[in-house]
Amino acid sequence: MVLPQPSSIPHLNQLHQHPHHQLPPGPSSGLPPGLPPSSMLSYQQQQHLLRRGTAPMAQMNSHSIWENSMGFGPVSITLGMVTHMEDSPLMSIINEVGLPARPPQGRSDEGRDLSERVPPPRSSSPVIGSPPVRAVPIGTPPTQPMSHALNHQIHHPTAVHVRAPIQHRYPPPFPERLSPNTLLNIANSPLCRGPFPPGVGPVLSQIQRAQLLNSQMAGFPRGGPAPPLLPGGGFRPFFGGPPPPLAHRMAHAEPGSGPWQDGRGPAQQGPHSNLMSQKEKEWVTKIQMMQLQSTDPYLDDYYYQNYYEKMEKRQERERDSSKKEHTTKLITPQVAKVEHTYRPVAGSLGKLTVSSVNNPRKMIDAVVTSRTDDEEKREKQVWNKRRQILYTVEKMYSLLLEVQDFEKRFVQAPEEDREALLEQHKSRTLQLCNTLREKEWDDRVSDEQCVMIMSVRKGKRLISRLLPFLPSPQAAAVVMAISRNLPALAKKDKQDQVLCWLVEPVAAVIQSLCSSALTDLLQELQGSEGQLASVLHNKFGVTLLYLILSEGERMQSSDANCQLMDDNRWTELVFSVTRELLSVPPSSLSPPLFTPPNLLSPLLALRGPTEAGAAPGQATLLL
Amino acid sequence: MNYVPGTASLIDDIDKKHLVLLRDGRTLIGYLRSIDQFANLVFHQTVERIHVGKKFGDIPRGIFIVRGENVVLLGEIDMDKPSDTVLQQVSIEEILEEQRLQQQSKQETEKVKMLALKDRGLSIPKADNLDEY
Repeated sequence: MVLPQPSSIPHLNQLHQHPHHQLPPGPSSGLPPGLPPSSMLSYQQQQHLLRRGTAPMAQMNSHSIWENSMGFGPVSITLGMVTHMEDSPLMSIINEVGLPARPPQGRSDEGRDLSERVPPPRSSSPVIGSPPVRAVPIGTPPTQPMSHALNHQIHHPTAVHVRAPIQHRYPPPFPERLSPNTLLNIANSPLCRGPFPPGVGPVLSQIQRAQLLNSQMAGFPRGGPAPPLLPGGGFRPFFGGPPPPLAHRMAHAEPGSGPWQDGRGPAQQGPHSNLMSQKEKEWVTKIQMMQLQSTDPYLDDYYYQNYYEKMEKRQERERDSSKKEHTTKLITPQVAKVEHTYRPVAGSLGKLTVSSVNNPRKMIDAVVTSRTDDEEKREKQVWNKRRQILYTVEKMYSLLLEVQDFEKRFVQAPEEDREALLEQHKSRTLQLCNTLREKEWDDRVSDEQCVMIMSVRKGKRLISRLLPFLPSPQAAAVVMAISRNLPALAKKDKQDQVLCWLVEPVAAVIQSLCSSALTDLLQELQGSEGQLASVLHNKFGVTLLYLILSEGERMQSSDANCQLMDDNRWTELVFSVTRELLSVPPSSLSPPLFTPPNLLSPLLALRGPTEAGAAPGQATLLL
Repeated sequence: MNYVPGTASLIDDIDKKHLVLLRDGRTLIGYLRSIDQFANLVFHQTVERIHVGKKFGDIPRGIFIVRGENVVLLGEIDMDKPSDTVLQQVSIEEILEEQRLQQQSKQETEKVKMLALKDRGLSIPKADNLDEY
């Protein structure tokens, strides 16, 4: 029976609870028969008893203590302890803080309804709070119950350490010599501590235990305080976890049996499971999160951020809004950026030297002067030309990246910066266009420049990324330039095979073209004699051709007053194209990347029969 | 369930049976009980499994604490999957004997190889598994 003593030593509560049938009849005041008087216990043992009452007791070889008086022993010892240690810090704390509420005694006569007992905190210190920060090195896991998930150290006043030098953080493993009764005690003691409504039996079923664990886990991501099931600390019974059914535990009491011969049992519900409390898991996670903090996530973790953006966009496209399945994204806390730039003092001349340990003095800017010999001049010229192209491409890339990131930055920027950002964006786009021009005063996109850029693999990629950002006349001009020089480009592309990157942006541009521009484009593609033939040998060329034809088809079918048919140019061009297509044997025709749907039937038919009679028929189909 | 979505974490692996391969070549199997920020692992009911050819033997080791930097790989063992029937479990003494024989034969071939190389005036430095020392 529970004695009406102050249970200020919270951990001792765990020893108060034991099932009904364990109680010896009648109250007992003072020590039960089997228990050695407290005076016989050494100071160390007494300390141990204070903190982890049952463990050292087992070690004391007092088998009887286990059996008879799990609940009694410590309480009685408390009596003795209290009388012995009046000056202990414990007493001072008790005096200072007062005692937590005791459950009414009358309950002990009814069923052993101990389910309302508050779970004790994990370690020896009283309920007040965690020890001061200085006492604990940085790397140690939490030992105190944390009222808030992550800032346990901030809110608690300094507390007196009631801790012996040796800490038994984890209880010793399953003691070998236990009777079934004591096992049942152990089994039920942690379970009785949950704040279940009265009437719930002390032994949880498997499902309830799992639910309990789940609800423990579920508390964290909500970011709120610990779930009500764990008021003060981890669910941390003596043996570290809700124990499995009795028979199961008996099987594992013997050390000799193969440890995992019964599958999942010893793992999740074993006597040693839940060694890591909820708080500890949160603590580890907190450290991992801290490592992910960054001032500029787009800088530090660019690919992750972009990947998730793309995935979210894809998800929005694919799924309808009713299905709210969003992959959870890790949202890292963003640390404020610290301004590190050094602003020069007004009135100073030139660059200011900021000397530091690593940079004692600013060096003079070295200027590179190039000197060419006549012999190597030509070679160097070629090499220089290539380097120049690469250099241009790099410059354009840096502009392009800024333009591409503009949207993102615009959204994030505060109101007053947005104007400036917009201006910057416009100027960058302008700069990009200008690079494509050959001469400063010439407004048109230079063919040569485009071809030059596209002779490099990186340049082709650049153009493909750049096209969506160019204003439409310029974009159209670029596409024209491409089609005009397609044979040369195709030849240069033989090694790289990357022209096909251009298909998508070029398709987008084509769809925005007007009819006359489209006709022009087709004409450019045909170009001089024999150009179309070589075009047809190239995958990109065929795709481009099909795109143009399909766009023309679409224009005619959709737009009633389309000007495509106004002059005969379009018709003539299509005729010549078809003639060419027919004359080329199908085997040497490169398969396009995709065939636009509205051209499918006529062109398939085109490839089949090669009779001349089919040609006008097909042409009319096209028209 | 993952506290930190979009990342990999060992929190979900707690209290599950795992197999870990250490840098010194040992294979340990045990229940992962605790982790920390360095991926130091606490294993419970650990067994060191020695494989020699088609035979293997388990040496029970109790509780193991593995320093995180020494882990090569770590994987959860699926309890539902039927265990491998190709391998044959033998007693500890037998597997240790087998291992000793294996080491011996390896050393002998190594010796022969070194001798042959020495005769030709060549030397190949021995690759050390413990790469720091």
